[in-house]
Amino acid sequence: MCSARVALCVCVLTLSAAERPVEFNRDVRPILSDNCFTCHGPDAKTKNIPLRLDQEAAAKTDLGGGRHAIVEGSPEQSEIIRRITTESKAKRMPPVYTGHAIAPRELEVLKSWIASGAKWEKHWSFNPPQAADPPRVSAPAWVRNPIDAFILERLDREGLKPSPEASPETLLRRVTLDLTGLPPTPAEISAFLADRSPKAYDHAVDRLLASPRYAERMAYRWLDYARYSDTNGYQFDGERSMWRWRDWVIDAFARNMPYNQFAVEQIAGDMLPNATTAQRIATGFNRNHRGNSEFGIIAEEYAVEYVVDRVETTSAVFLGLTLGCARCHNHKYDPITQKEFYQVYAYFNNVPEHGRAMKYGNSPPVTAAPTSEQQAEARVLDGKIARLQSAIDARAPLTRREMESWRSTLTGSRTSWPLASGMEKDLAKILYDIDDRFTVSARVQSTAVPHGAVWSRMSNSPRGRGLGLYAKQGMLHVHITSDYDDDAIRLNSKVALAAGRSYNVLLTYSGSRMAEGIHVYVDGSEVEMEAELDSLYRPLGNAGKAFKEPFRIGEGGGPENKFNGVVSDVTVYSRVLSGEEIAALASTSPSLLYYLDSAASPDLRAQWAELAALRRQREALERTFPTVMVMAERSERRPTHILNRGQYDKPGEVVEPGVPAQLHPLPAGVPNNRLGFARWLVAPENPLTARVAVNRFWQMMFGVGLVKTAEDFGLQGEWPSHPALLDWLATEFVRSGWDMKAMLKTMVTSATYRQSSAATPELLQRDPENRLLARGARFRLPAEAVRDSALAIAGLLDSRIGGPSVKPYQPDGLWKELTMQDMDYVQSHGRDLYRRSLYTFWKRTVAPPMLANFDAANRESCVVRESRTNTPLQALNLMNDVQFVEAARVLGQRMMLEGGATPAERLRYGFRLATGRLPHDSEAAVLQGSLSYHLDYFAGNAARAGEFLAQGESKPDAHLDRRELAAYGAVGSLLLNLDETVTRP
Amino acid sequence: MNPLDQARLFITRRHFFARTATGLGAAALGSLCAAEAGGKSTGGLPGLPHFAPKAKRVIYLFQHGAPSQLDLFDHKPALAGARGKDLPASIRMGQRLTGMTAYQASFPVAPSIFPFAQHGQSGSWFSELIPHMAQVADDLCIIKTLHTEAINHDPAVTFFQTGFQLAGRPSMGAWVSYGLGSENQDLPAFVVMVSQGTGNAQALADRAWGSGFLPSKYQGVKFRAGGDPVLYLSNPPGYESPARRRYLDDLAALNEMSQRELHDPEIATRIAQYEMAFRMQTSVPELTDLSHEPDSTFEMYGPDSRKPGSYAANCILARRMAERGVRFIQLFHRGWDQHGNLPREIRQQCLQTDQPSAALVKDLKQRGLLDDTLIVWGGEFGRTVYSQGTLTETNYGRDHHPRCFTMWLAGGGVKPGISYGETDDFSYNIAENPMEIHDLHATMMHLLGVDHTRLTYKFQGRHYRLTDVHGRVVRDIVS
Repeated sequence: MCSARVALCVCVLTLSAAERPVEFNRDVRPILSDNCFTCHGPDAKTKNIPLRLDQEAAAKTDLGGGRHAIVEGSPEQSEIIRRITTESKAKRMPPVYTGHAIAPRELEVLKSWIASGAKWEKHWSFNPPQAADPPRVSAPAWVRNPIDAFILERLDREGLKPSPEASPETLLRRVTLDLTGLPPTPAEISAFLADRSPKAYDHAVDRLLASPRYAERMAYRWLDYARYSDTNGYQFDGERSMWRWRDWVIDAFARNMPYNQFAVEQIAGDMLPNATTAQRIATGFNRNHRGNSEFGIIAEEYAVEYVVDRVETTSAVFLGLTLGCARCHNHKYDPITQKEFYQVYAYFNNVPEHGRAMKYGNSPPVTAAPTSEQQAEARVLDGKIARLQSAIDARAPLTRREMESWRSTLTGSRTSWPLASGMEKDLAKILYDIDDRFTVSARVQSTAVPHGAVWSRMSNSPRGRGLGLYAKQGMLHVHITSDYDDDAIRLNSKVALAAGRSYNVLLTYSGSRMAEGIHVYVDGSEVEMEAELDSLYRPLGNAGKAFKEPFRIGEGGGPENKFNGVVSDVTVYSRVLSGEEIAALASTSPSLLYYLDSAASPDLRAQWAELAALRRQREALERTFPTVMVMAERSERRPTHILNRGQYDKPGEVVEPGVPAQLHPLPAGVPNNRLGFARWLVAPENPLTARVAVNRFWQMMFGVGLVKTAEDFGLQGEWPSHPALLDWLATEFVRSGWDMKAMLKTMVTSATYRQSSAATPELLQRDPENRLLARGARFRLPAEAVRDSALAIAGLLDSRIGGPSVKPYQPDGLWKELTMQDMDYVQSHGRDLYRRSLYTFWKRTVAPPMLANFDAANRESCVVRESRTNTPLQALNLMNDVQFVEAARVLGQRMMLEGGATPAERLRYGFRLATGRLPHDSEAAVLQGSLSYHLDYFAGNAARAGEFLAQGESKPDAHLDRRELAAYGAVGSLLLNLDETVTRP
Repeated sequence: MNPLDQARLFITRRHFFARTATGLGAAALGSLCAAEAGGKSTGGLPGLPHFAPKAKRVIYLFQHGAPSQLDLFDHKPALAGARGKDLPASIRMGQRLTGMTAYQASFPVAPSIFPFAQHGQSGSWFSELIPHMAQVADDLCIIKTLHTEAINHDPAVTFFQTGFQLAGRPSMGAWVSYGLGSENQDLPAFVVMVSQGTGNAQALADRAWGSGFLPSKYQGVKFRAGGDPVLYLSNPPGYESPARRRYLDDLAALNEMSQRELHDPEIATRIAQYEMAFRMQTSVPELTDLSHEPDSTFEMYGPDSRKPGSYAANCILARRMAERGVRFIQLFHRGWDQHGNLPREIRQQCLQTDQPSAALVKDLKQRGLLDDTLIVWGGEFGRTVYSQGTLTETNYGRDHHPRCFTMWLAGGGVKPGISYGETDDFSYNIAENPMEIHDLHATMMHLLGVDHTRLTYKFQGRHYRLTDVHGRVVRDIVS
């Protein structure tokens, strides 16, 4: 820790401060914040500490006895300096136990600041960005756009010069990797080198920004910020389905949706007027948090955690603030009170959700999210249905006359007229579980008050597992039960069935796992049901075990539940019937539907059957629609309390939704709800949103943000390396209409970006972290790009966009050894093995090992800062993981097939595929040596070559010599493991 | 590695240290590859340890699922008279219960059916389920008054491992390797091994040994029994070690050419990491190969110890890692979650774990390693005195109980042969000397020579530490 802080000081202070006067925001506040604010900051009051150093007036006030913490112009009289420098250990600040200490250099800064008048400033990031004119610089010719002027102005002050422009090969590789996450192809390199026009580079950038690969590359970082995952997390970590949200993100980047719209739709798309399906899907952003389905949890505890997660994620991603620090007490550093935290919390606390997540699948609220192909298919079916329906409607008068004459021929009486089409005829096959849709209609009659099971699929005890419709002393009772105590839905009617009468009782269930998905009708009229329990989360067939109870009529749930009368005319449908159909089933006289279904002329019946078949097809299609968890609003606002110490069971004062007072107010005319909050986020007055966004773009293009603490723009965040540049970018971003592609283009076409990344010993010493950018940035590829590059270089990469997540190679047993019995990794096959890494199935508790090895964000919670380490496990991964061994041998094959006739040509081709340039002679010689070695190595041993070539599912080209192919494969692996291959140059 | 290569690499790295102020940059050699040739402990932070450590390393035997303190260590003879009676409200005090028993109509007291006896000079109590641990009674420091805030497995394990119930913070092993670095240049500083029990197993998660917001190189490296002991350790089929050596020489030659042109310290680091990977390809199989252990070892650790991946085999591996200087060795044994059929299931779990746990203490002691190795044994919470489900003469279950439970420590500077803390007559509440998880963490850090308040990492503007804002060193158990 200490060392990290020292390093930061070295970087910020020694490189910059020498000739400049002390500046409060840059130099002073960080010292006070880091060392003093824990006690003498915004939360001082709760600790009964009178002195505050985060506010000017308080810091300069009389502390009693004429003592002042800070006396303008006089360090000697300032108590703060006395206490820092006192010999008395007991009195010295900061106290020893805090582990903090003011460094001599920091003390000098404080003294000189006080001596020069102790001028106070508002924290820099809370002031709106100012669009300054680009400064005058020493070498105007170097400046390609204003970015360069700001960078060069600082270099001028440091006495440094920019580096020369990188070679065209390097430049193309750099910008292609940065914008698309993939290396350039040989054809792209050749075209670029051949393009002599001064606009060649600009054209390449335009081409890359227009590529779907760009949208995927931008999306995968956004997934980290949004803690996207394919599982719920926590203990059981069951699968969920959020990939339609992921695809929405890709699509938004592809269409270059303005960032303000991008933000509003994700925060509150559901509340926009006439919200589209896409806008609802966008709100999955704030449902990507983890969900706990562990048996025995207290649901209220986790309901709170979900809302907290939304606040933390939203504030980190859009505001660069750590609002979560104010959950238990006032923020220790930033001017945000605990009350304000809960006011923001209130915006996100109105979702109709349950604290316990579904064990398998999505937790409500969810929305059906058909893909565009599915939507097209549905439109075709709807058209056919409408045409057939209108044909049938057109002859309605005739049909009615025919039906009347048919009715007049009927004799005797019947109690029901079931609809034959779609009826389940084999009751033994009815194995409905909690996700199934169904309708069950029955006629009941008892001489006593009806009591007992009408029908059920249930174990033989009254509180057992299963589902069914019951009469309980006349009242209707429906239940779906996985565990009687707290994993069930139970509903009771308010009105009772009477003795001696015959009733049609009909139940429909939508498969929603919620009480709202159950409707009960008596003689065709819906009856009001009251939910006794609505907390179902596990299927009847749980943990891989089948639930075998049969469908029973008149019994189930123990002998005491045998029906005390007659149950007859039971008809079952595997769908939710329409109102008209429900009425037809309830009726004791034949309905038009019955007539069309069973009694009309053969032609008409055939037409009707076709229509019914189309409707079933439509319904079946609808059942395949993926769903996605979304935000929604409760009809009645849930009150929000301040939670004492942040604990769910310690509610305090009730608060109204509101934004932090230190920031701008809600824009005029917006409602004070989640949508209003979203509008506030992207209001022009918001000092943070644009800065935070452009800083992350900068981080993507340069490896480190202008504010290194990309997640924290608060008082403990880092002072920007180039404040005026950050402000210029932020104002430019807003001025351009929040145009993300334009912003990136500005960055990558700057001279700053285009510099060579070759360092010199002097530069390494002056600026080891390259924060001044006197050279180009050079850093290891992100995890996704390491894998995607290898696949692209081998020519294996699958280019399909979107869809459900896939499961590429993974060592056996990784899931099984940590998870519950019924969870094992079932690897994908064929093309799915070679999809881009953003489509790799992400299981939170057992992350994909290769991506985790290469520092991918953990997806447990929001991560916005990129991290890079360099470990032996990465080396083992790249050399030995079957994904990379296969890519290596396919690269070897590609060298042989496409590279040319001679080994030298083939090796050059492979090297160029991997690094984007041609090898120097010395490099070529090493490659040639390696090839010769491996030709010998495999030559004497066909079995060796066979084993090596058997890695991975793709088949080697049978026409090639296997030993030679293996040797090229080994060299292929060497190429994939080069530092240069896994590095953005 | 041939001497020429070694020399070349060494020169390369010295060259960088000489020419750059910060040596290997942001992603410098970390815990995984910390030690310089011939050096001692490296890769840690300057100024650490803060004071002379009593323990150089930790072996943490995590009993995952929560063993019942009432059936193993916390002897409550007075419960016999309360058998089947409802737990008095004066004891329960309206404490929150899990959703599994909150709906129970009654809370019948279930005394352990297993006989207890005192053992050793210390006279500590052990039930008949753990006769081998009883043999090392005088080496153990038994703490009966751990308590936790969490009542469900996932948050409770996360709390134990990271000091916080929600995911996102570094695990203890990650903190230790971040702060203290490694003592072995060929092995990871933080190793994790998971074994499967016979009873009700709950899920575990990688985050239990994750690095949280620390750089990922500090996360625990999982050693596995089937396939590669470390992921991707083995060369691909058909590709053997001599070829790999040649391959790495060529790779280094090419990478050095880039390095000469670009002067990027990360390249030198990468070359070194590939060499470390190569050394691991030898050092890890050597470590995990038990074929040269004498029969006496397997007799000591019990019948399971010849089965790769068993808890017993992992205990032998733990000893071998301790011998080789691995800093933080953590075993997880699953299957302790005995909500029902506790008597039958706990017996099976004890058969798998009792003998090897005790053998590890004896083995380290006979090798002179116990003095500077801290062994920790325990689960994530305790179990209730009342029966979950029906109580019969021979059967009962127990729900999660966070308010008191037992762990033991041995070696590494803890007082041997003592019992610390007392629970009430129902082993439901703590009567004296409560110990929080944070206190355990603080004490473990103290034994490692670390002031837990001073090992911090700044993230999101805050200086985080393993013990959050809590934790006190329990000096009563430190020798």
